[in-house]
Amino acid sequence: MDHQHTHNSNPRDLQMARSMCWHCQSEMSGEYFCDRCVKVQPVSKELDYFTCLGIPRRLTIDQRQLESKFYELSRAFHPDFYQNKSADEQTISLGNSALLNSAYRTLRDPIERAEYLLDLEAGSVKQIRNSPPADLFEEILELQDTLNEYRAAGPASETESTLRAKLQSERNTLEQRQQDMEAALQQLFVQWDALQDRGEATSQARAERDRILKEMREHLSNRTYVKNIVSDLVSTIG
Amino acid sequence: MAYSDKVVDHFNNPRNMGSFKKDEEGVGTGMVGAPECGDVMKLQIKVQNDTIVDAKFKTFGCGSAIASSSLATEWLKGKTIDEAQKIKNTDIVQELNLPPVKIHCSVLAEDAIKAALADYQKKADGALIDAK
Repeated sequence: MDHQHTHNSNPRDLQMARSMCWHCQSEMSGEYFCDRCVKVQPVSKELDYFTCLGIPRRLTIDQRQLESKFYELSRAFHPDFYQNKSADEQTISLGNSALLNSAYRTLRDPIERAEYLLDLEAGSVKQIRNSPPADLFEEILELQDTLNEYRAAGPASETESTLRAKLQSERNTLEQRQQDMEAALQQLFVQWDALQDRGEATSQARAERDRILKEMREHLSNRTYVKNIVSDLVSTIG
Repeated sequence: MAYSDKVVDHFNNPRNMGSFKKDEEGVGTGMVGAPECGDVMKLQIKVQNDTIVDAKFKTFGCGSAIASSSLATEWLKGKTIDEAQKIKNTDIVQELNLPPVKIHCSVLAEDAIKAALADYQKKADGALIDAK
C-alpha cells in the first residue's frame, strides 16, 4: 500500500485535508501553516497513525523516534499555543492535536499497536473470525465456578483454604501461559517486520502475510480472555 | 451509565445458570467469545421432538452479557428449533434496554443461540447417519 507516497517536493510529512489554505485560499506550500497568512492548517482525517507519526508500518518500533516526533508535532499543534488565535484556528489545533494524541497513545503500546495494525491490514477484526478456542473457554468457565465457590465459602474454613490453593496454582499456570503468548506474539511481530522489509509481492509472501495476521489475531484474542480471568483471580485471592 | 432494572434483575437472579453434559442426547452446545472485551459465553439447549425443553448458560463477562444470555435461555424454553432461529439480538437489546456500547453483548448471545442450534443439528444429523 504505497499510495500515500506522493511524489512532490513538499516538505510536509503529513497529508493535509485540503490543498488550499482555508483562510486566504492561496495554495498550501508551507509545512503545516499557510505561507502567506501563517494560519494553521487541518491535517487529513484519513491519515493512519503510523503515517501521522512518521514511522513505518512495523511492529517493532523505535520508541524514542516515536516520542520525539510526537513532541515535535505537539509543538506545532497544541491548543495552548492557540489561546489568542481565532476560533477557527483553535478548532483546527484541537482536531490536529486529538488525532496526534490518539496516534501516540495507540502506537506506544505494543499490543494496541498490533491491534491497530490488524485493523489496517485486515479490515475490521471480525473479518478474521477464527473458531473460538473451546478448550480455553471451558477452562475459564470452570475456573469461574471455582471462584464463586471460593467466594461463597466461609472465611478461614477448610474449603476456603483448599480452594485457595487450587486457585493459586491455576493462577500460576495461567500467568505462565500469558507469558508464552506474549513471547509468541513477539515472534510474530519480528516475522511481520521481516516480511515487510523484504517487500516481496509473490503469492508465497501473501500466504505468509495472511498466516502471520491470522495467528496474531488468535493470540491477541486469547490473550484478552486469559488476561480477564487472571485479573479476576488476582482480585479475588489477592 | 446505569444498567436498566431488567439487566440488574437478570444479573442478580440469573435464570437457568448451569450446564448439561455435552454428549447427552438432544443437547446442543454453543460456545462463543468476544475477543474485543474478553467475554465468554456458553449456552446449551436440550431438545425433544423438535422443541427446546430446557436451556442453560454460563457466562464470564459483564452484567449485560450475563443478562443477555440469561434472557436468551428464558426465551428459548418451549420454542421449536425454527422459532429459536428467529431470535434476534435486537429483540434482546429492546427487552433489556441496552445502551449502544453494550449492543455487542446481545450479538454475543445471538451468536451463542445460533451456535447451540447448529451443534444440535450437527449431532442430530450424525445420529441419523449412524441409525442408517
